[in-house]
Amino acid sequence: MKLELKKVYNYHKKEMIKVLLIQQMGCLNLIGKSIPRREGKNKVTGTAKYTADYSTPGQLYAVLVTSPHAHAKIKSIDITKATKCAGVQAVVTGKDYPVLTGSAVEDRPVLAIEKVRYFGEPVAIVVANSEYEAEKACSYVQVEYELLPVLHSVEESFTGKNALIHESFHLYTKPKKLKPIPERNVANHVTVRKGDFHKGKHISDVLVKTNVSLPQSDHAAMETRSVKAEILPTGEVHIESSSQAPFDIQQMVSKHFNIDTNKVIVHTPFVGGAFGGKAAIQLEFIAYIASKSTGGKPIKLTHSRENDMISSPVHIGMDSDVKLGATNDGKLTMLEMTFKFDSGAYVDESSDITTTAALNCTGPYKVDHVWCDAYCVYTNHPYATSFRGYGHGELAFAIERALDKLAEKLQMDPMELRIKNAIKPGDTTPSQAKLTKGNIGNTKACLERIKKLIDWDEGDVVPVSNNVIRAKGISGLWKTSMSPTDASSGAIITLNKDGSMNLNVGVVEIGQGTKTTLIQILATSMQVDESKIHMKMDVNTESSPEHWKTVASTAVYMAGNAVVEAAEDVKRQLKNNASYKLRCKPEDLEVGESRVYLKSDPQKHVNVQSVVRGYKYNNGNTAGNMVIGRGGFVMNQLTNMDLKTGKAFPGPAWTVGAQAVEVEFNTRTFFYTITKAVSVLDAGVIFNPKGARGQVTGAMSMGLSWASREGFYFNQNGNIINNQFRTYKTLRFDEQPEYIVDFVNTEQLDGPYGARGVGEHGIIGMPAALANSLSKAANTSLNHLPLIPEFIWSKKKEETP
Amino acid sequence: MITTDFEYYCAQSITEAVDLFKQLSDSGIRPLFYNGGTEIITLMRINSFYTHVNAVIDIKRIPECSVLEMDEHDYLVIGASVPLAEIEENMAFPLLSKNCSRIADHTSREKITLGGNVCGHIKYKEAILPLLLTNSTLVIADEKGLHEVFIQDIFDKEIILEPGSFIVQFKIEKEFLSMPYINKKMTKIDRIGYPLITVSAIQMKKEIRFAFSGLCETPFYSYEIDDILNNEENSIRKRINAAIKQIPEPILDDIEGSASYRKFVLSNTLEEIMMKLNGGGGNEAIS
Repeated sequence: MKLELKKVYNYHKKEMIKVLLIQQMGCLNLIGKSIPRREGKNKVTGTAKYTADYSTPGQLYAVLVTSPHAHAKIKSIDITKATKCAGVQAVVTGKDYPVLTGSAVEDRPVLAIEKVRYFGEPVAIVVANSEYEAEKACSYVQVEYELLPVLHSVEESFTGKNALIHESFHLYTKPKKLKPIPERNVANHVTVRKGDFHKGKHISDVLVKTNVSLPQSDHAAMETRSVKAEILPTGEVHIESSSQAPFDIQQMVSKHFNIDTNKVIVHTPFVGGAFGGKAAIQLEFIAYIASKSTGGKPIKLTHSRENDMISSPVHIGMDSDVKLGATNDGKLTMLEMTFKFDSGAYVDESSDITTTAALNCTGPYKVDHVWCDAYCVYTNHPYATSFRGYGHGELAFAIERALDKLAEKLQMDPMELRIKNAIKPGDTTPSQAKLTKGNIGNTKACLERIKKLIDWDEGDVVPVSNNVIRAKGISGLWKTSMSPTDASSGAIITLNKDGSMNLNVGVVEIGQGTKTTLIQILATSMQVDESKIHMKMDVNTESSPEHWKTVASTAVYMAGNAVVEAAEDVKRQLKNNASYKLRCKPEDLEVGESRVYLKSDPQKHVNVQSVVRGYKYNNGNTAGNMVIGRGGFVMNQLTNMDLKTGKAFPGPAWTVGAQAVEVEFNTRTFFYTITKAVSVLDAGVIFNPKGARGQVTGAMSMGLSWASREGFYFNQNGNIINNQFRTYKTLRFDEQPEYIVDFVNTEQLDGPYGARGVGEHGIIGMPAALANSLSKAANTSLNHLPLIPEFIWSKKKEETP
Repeated sequence: MITTDFEYYCAQSITEAVDLFKQLSDSGIRPLFYNGGTEIITLMRINSFYTHVNAVIDIKRIPECSVLEMDEHDYLVIGASVPLAEIEENMAFPLLSKNCSRIADHTSREKITLGGNVCGHIKYKEAILPLLLTNSTLVIADEKGLHEVFIQDIFDKEIILEPGSFIVQFKIEKEFLSMPYINKKMTKIDRIGYPLITVSAIQMKKEIRFAFSGLCETPFYSYEIDDILNNEENSIRKRINAAIKQIPEPILDDIEGSASYRKFVLSNTLEEIMMKLNGGGGNEAIS
């Protein structure tokens, strides 16, 4: 039996506690135990219900009329014919509800008004008795357009010459602080100024320049977005949505349609994959006005795959210029970087993604002199929102490609270059945030581990057979989670009469398994078996405590801390009730194994079930109180960004890691097979190793798919032509490489029991590592995604005229 | 969702199918013969094709359309309604099996039929390549009954069928079934997807025949290209370069790949096929 003692500092309680990590010892301690997903059996048997699975009697169906143009004036919309179609209850257009929405800039109408800014933009909505009647009537909505010049790229938009996408940008309400350049179609310009740029240049012996870019792509969640809305005669608005942000929906519907917040009730059942794409609010507003236009009837709106890909927000595109300097012995000296993010037609999260990329632009490396300009640029592409990694995968692609180029120029081992410059406690980030033992993990340890796991010493390019070579590429990674500085989370624990517990948190189960981890945290805190805990799997704003949004890999950190606090609250109350029976002070008692016992003599105890509703004496008198646990968490220590220098403390901690990819590359055909992918993450204390491995592997697979083949193709009119899985490629099961996932365990000191989030991190270094391996293999710089063989061929062709 | 209303008929015999087509046409309805339905369903759903179809006549239940056997004259007979997945597993005609195994994904191959693939709207129609190479016989049903025709006689960019007629069966001569062959499908990146190019090649006694899909707007088989590629006076490289100049139509240039990249892939693929077949490496076909 392996016993391990670890000191875990629970800063949240401002006290130090010691937790015995008793592995393989059965029920009492669930840290490090791979218990199965709580909801797993329901999911694999098809019993679990998702938004589109629910229907209400009398429910109507809504279908979108979308724009066939990327940029056009709406001259007129004639709904007369559509209104007369069989089964049609209402046809709504943008002018009926002239509301502008957006989390950073209120630039987006619920349905297009006056002009359309991207192909697929919702223009009208038809509500009918059945879905097919609604869809049929859509073809009778007659919209007359006048075409406008299409801005196809960030470069084109940035010139500000051909067109403005938002002529009235200056009139928009801006809930967040931004530095726009409206005449260049720039919604936000972020500047990071750290150190002395000129000094940095002066002390650099070598300088490399590189340009990288990646196109917009899709989140490709299995479940397409779906929403239902109903307005009751009392005025209560009920929305059910496949969302990562039910509480945000509640706030925003309340705000934009002037409804008391308590009258907006949002319900979210299981979500079938989200990856950031379901944190944005779009269809919920549309569903609300659709219901409103029918007198409040229940309506359902479920995206087809085609609409899900282009009408709803997508993964951001990026173009970046990097200048990276170093001394001859490989010490990084300066970084000058420009990002142009393709936010598409509307800003949504893009301004914040721009900020995040800028504030963390160096990746997990120490650079004293940093000069970064990041622009959030409007184009006539679909609008972008958060995507797994939130800017970090994009910035990693830029910086890690530059690092490999630098290593080549220095004739230095790329691994050594990274190890030499790995960031550590005591260093500062580009936003001048001071790193400490508590808020950053061990980058160097991750790199050294990956070096072994990928067998780096074998050589990064090794011949396999005639025309086939094996090549390896690496990438470091880091990520912080930029949230509002007051983002909050809560947990409520109620107890059943037998002493078992019900846990209620506002975290959405999007397939990530957080709720199982939260069960483990509570079980550990209460010293009970996980089977004694029931978890409320859906989220309902009327009964669940708010959790900011299920995004940014923060659910374990935020809700986990709230659960620990709620468990402490339950224990306090149980001890109080038990003190009547055990005739002692509550402080003399401890709770564990469903018992409340005297610390000094554990044999003297009362079962929890006897004290969940106060303590009843033999004569029937009852003392104490009913036990209900509450716990809360708010982000603290975060600061807003200084607009001039980018100085900020953007997130509570930086999770670091290293990744590697091995490919077998055919030098004749330029086709390749990804044979191996490795991740080493400093994930702190891991509650559920198999769950964590699953998350990291899933993210790696997603990253390899994104890097190797995903991306939207636009025709000359700016229309996306691959909004179907026939032509939009994702990695298939038989193309998966061997995955190796390993962890370094530097505790996050303010995480629950030292745990860190790992939901996103596995994706971050994959594009860079794949590009690095293929660039080695093909002996050319591959700086643009996706890395399809034709792209490699075209690069090689350029080089050999 | 398919929003067009259309009538569905399921014919139990060849005559019923032909008669139904005539009756419906006479009453002003535009019917379409329906086999696996994958293309009709998926394209109607997104309103991109078959939008004016008022009725479909399903021929899958017709017994003759589902046979897969050698007949008494030593022909392999494959019914038009046999799904690609069945051909893939059957291996009576290994080149066709190999070819079919690379069309769409397995779930779709369970539905897509041989007749549907070669008569569909899809530009690739990859299953037609082995049929062209072997100049297989088509058994066609129309008002007059059944008649047989060589595929090369009615193939001009597509199989030209009179309205109201449909293919019941494909017949392939036995001698072709065991010839060395190679079928190679190249895609943009993964195993499953539309082809950059698909090449089927079969080693005859004296020459290799080649047929192509994905290279141009329609699949093709060209005697001229065969002649050039089999001209042993020239090096393989030279033959390939000459053959590429003889491609009868413009080379496709789309999101699967540019025209010049397709040429590059074609050149490599042909070289690989010729090296393998000349070196006696057929049958162990590369995928």
